[in-house]
Amino acid sequence: MSDKSSSRPSGFDRRAFMAGAAGSVLVPMTARAAAQDANAPLAQDPSLPVEVTLRVNGEDKHLSLDARTTVLDALREHLKLTGSKKGCDHGQCGACTVLIDDRRVVSCLTLAVAAEGQEITTIEGLATDDRLHPMQQAFIDNDAFQCGYCTPGQIMSAVACVKEGHAGNEADIREYMSGNICRCAAYPNIVAAVKQAAPEIMKG
Amino acid sequence: MTAAAPEPKANMGQSVPRYDAAAKVTGRATYASDMPLDNPAYAFLVTSAIAKGRIDRFDLDDAGRVRGVIDIVTHENAPKLKESKLFSNGGYAGTTIQPLKSAEIAHDGQIIAVVIAESYEAAREAANRVKVSYTAAAPSASFDSRGTTMAAAKGQNAQFKEDPAVGDFAKAFETAEVKLTASYDTPTQHHNPMELFTTSCVWMGDNLVIYEGSQYVYGLKNGVAEQLGIEADKVRVVNPYVGGGFGSRGSMTPRTAIIAGIAKRLNRPIKLVPTRDQGFTIATYRAETRHEIKLGANRDGRLVALRHEGAEVSSRPDAYCVGGTKTTTRLYACPNVDSLVSIVRADRNTPGFMRSPPEVPYLFALESALDELAVKLDMDPIELRRINDTTNEPINGKPYTSRSLMACFDEAAKAFGWAQRSPQPKSMSDGDWLIGYGCAATCYPTQMAPSAARVRLQRDGRTRVEIAGHEIGTGAYTVIAQTAAERLGVPLEKVAVFIGDSDLPPAPVAGGSNSTASTCSAVMMVCDQIRQRLFKAVMPSDSLADKAKETVGISPAPSTQAARGDRSLDLDKAFDALGVGVVEEYGEWKPEGAPLDSFQAMHTGHVRLIGGHAMKDQIAYAFGAEFVEVRVNRFTHEIRCPRLVGAFAAGRIMNPRTARSQLMGGLIWGMSSALLEATEIDERNARYVNDNLADYLVPVNADVPGVEVIMLSEQDDHINLVGAKGLGELANVGTNAAVCNALYHATGQRIRKLPVRLENIEI
Repeated sequence: MSDKSSSRPSGFDRRAFMAGAAGSVLVPMTARAAAQDANAPLAQDPSLPVEVTLRVNGEDKHLSLDARTTVLDALREHLKLTGSKKGCDHGQCGACTVLIDDRRVVSCLTLAVAAEGQEITTIEGLATDDRLHPMQQAFIDNDAFQCGYCTPGQIMSAVACVKEGHAGNEADIREYMSGNICRCAAYPNIVAAVKQAAPEIMKG
Repeated sequence: MTAAAPEPKANMGQSVPRYDAAAKVTGRATYASDMPLDNPAYAFLVTSAIAKGRIDRFDLDDAGRVRGVIDIVTHENAPKLKESKLFSNGGYAGTTIQPLKSAEIAHDGQIIAVVIAESYEAAREAANRVKVSYTAAAPSASFDSRGTTMAAAKGQNAQFKEDPAVGDFAKAFETAEVKLTASYDTPTQHHNPMELFTTSCVWMGDNLVIYEGSQYVYGLKNGVAEQLGIEADKVRVVNPYVGGGFGSRGSMTPRTAIIAGIAKRLNRPIKLVPTRDQGFTIATYRAETRHEIKLGANRDGRLVALRHEGAEVSSRPDAYCVGGTKTTTRLYACPNVDSLVSIVRADRNTPGFMRSPPEVPYLFALESALDELAVKLDMDPIELRRINDTTNEPINGKPYTSRSLMACFDEAAKAFGWAQRSPQPKSMSDGDWLIGYGCAATCYPTQMAPSAARVRLQRDGRTRVEIAGHEIGTGAYTVIAQTAAERLGVPLEKVAVFIGDSDLPPAPVAGGSNSTASTCSAVMMVCDQIRQRLFKAVMPSDSLADKAKETVGISPAPSTQAARGDRSLDLDKAFDALGVGVVEEYGEWKPEGAPLDSFQAMHTGHVRLIGGHAMKDQIAYAFGAEFVEVRVNRFTHEIRCPRLVGAFAAGRIMNPRTARSQLMGGLIWGMSSALLEATEIDERNARYVNDNLADYLVPVNADVPGVEVIMLSEQDDHINLVGAKGLGELANVGTNAAVCNALYHATGQRIRKLPVRLENIEI
């Protein structure tokens, strides 16, 4: 018999570290937020709300957030943009992938306060005027999903993959799409979809 | 047509795109945790750091001081919940271990507290600040741990009724010309669907709405109502889209009633999004198994004796087992068969269904052993299976309703290029890479369950189908829409399908690969009720059929029973004659041989699966053959799997596109099971070690270069109305053995323990 004094909340160490890291990068961000409003309190406590303006799909969104809020949770819980999905919250699965200044980013590992002033594009912002983006159409044509949960992340990742110039051949596509897990394993169809959409996207 | 949308062969539906495709590529598909809630509070779980013992006390001071914390729920103040029986014992639950009921700890990662706060971030912080003092006891982790108990499954698991046997195994084995005895191990695996095990609960007065990814909304609704002690009609489960199931959402987990109870007490919507690692212990998993196979054969390859002994791990209170001997004792002709399944109890969370629960571990053993026997006999492994192919299962002599096993082998062998294989191990290579070809049979029982459906047809042909089915990625929306469009002769785009809601007519669990057969049979039957009403209205008797052909509006549809309804009619005329605005029909379909209480059970969330070996006079399975090329680096021992080829026959293929995708995903699952997936267990602490998606290896795109799926045309009129055999769990069964058989061919080393990784290769 032993006595053990601890609980096992999920990912305790990483979370503790994350919270600490958030605190340390928070200072300039908070300062910037405070500079916009001289009366705003300087947030020493991360749970005190921080004013954040996120530019999402071309629109500015003013939010008051816990400083530890990730871009993913800001989108999902505060902006009702639930297309980006939470699959692991650890940057391991890619379901939360969005574009930040055209770069693919796992939004669960990106703090909202750190994304201020940058252009965030989510799956909801991909189609224009009810016309599907070529990558979205290619995913439909090639049945590149089953349950669909990883799909928004796959598509955002795929768009970036093409623009990065990593869609030249199937081996490249497989390699550069390997940050996005699809548990239904639609992988061969995802490769076919990226291949189909790539020329049209590169054309502009 | 893309490769994803194969041209339909005989007895196949159209390869139309998914009904839910646009919603899924635009982010509009709303999974449970996407549902908008009005001013929700957020829940975060605290789970046990020990696997066995009890909680002495909580220190909640620190946690309670976190700004935004609303409540901290432990066993000392938790809502009182009634117990629920195990799914396999006539209940709804995947485990009878009910957290927050007492200070007792039954397994690592058990829920011990729930923190409720104004934000997700505050709930998480407070959960991290909950301090717990335990009195811990030494837990038993698995097979080789001290303190486990082992007993025959028969007698302790209500669903495992017999150890199949026939003839005199001992005598036949004794005198067999060629004998093989071999043992095989399979590991713990976790489903890891992409969607987390989230739950949102909203009360409106006495009525509860639950948003939760579920493979069985009627089971969850009735189970939660039972636990809360309220009428089932007060509970509604909604999940129009489910982010992967694989069995993990088939039975109720304890979290749901807990969250519902807290939401009621706080009078506020509660949203729980557990973490990925919590998912390893708050839901079920595929338990580790061990097998011993004994095969006796004549020199010509004919099996004369077969014995399969299996052992499976379960939790202390629950006698869960999969008992795959029901399949492995019936797959090949053999006059003398014996079997035994045992359950080992350890300090673990209760295991449960994971994609092809019985067949994955048990066929790995049998299909590996057959390959070993083929080597002993110096015989091609396909020919060994051909010699032992059978039209009747050997235990009771019942005929298979249809069986295309060898046709699958022949088609797949041709596509794979099996003829180019040189049989000697280590005889094929490419530079530093040893090449191995392997194959195995795959099969899965064809199962059906009672299902209801409601269909409403409007004068303009618009059709609404309501059925509490589940879209877990299988294509449920699509094949249901196709069935209605075909039977009513209306354009597919006019059909709207509503599923994933327990307020709709009941459908069975999306498990055991029964969904397509069950729900489409019900929809087909109800559509025929509508046709009958319409035709009766305009044609007093069948003799007027010719007259009805003059006008068009509802046309005959291609179906398995194409002879029925070779007529068409004008919808306007029919609606005028009936004097109604819409024609709506409700109906309940049940498979032949379903027990008398089937329909009643269906409404209360109990499934009466019919099929497989349990049919009265027949036995129904879908079959396939799987071929694998592996490459093993002779210096680094790295294993790659460049090619997977599978041929399958599963009765009517409702939609070759969605079917192909499921079979393809299944083949990749099988490869993954053979080479990647294992939940590692810390023996001393009975704790899962790699409980995240970086350390629990699942395949990524780069792991899967080439997959070819071949679907054979097969017609089976003995199984269900639409003639479909489930195929969602067909493809991931044989692959484990096929990979290991290929590894043997590449290296000359027989590996009998999964998964196989480079450290297991000794060349």
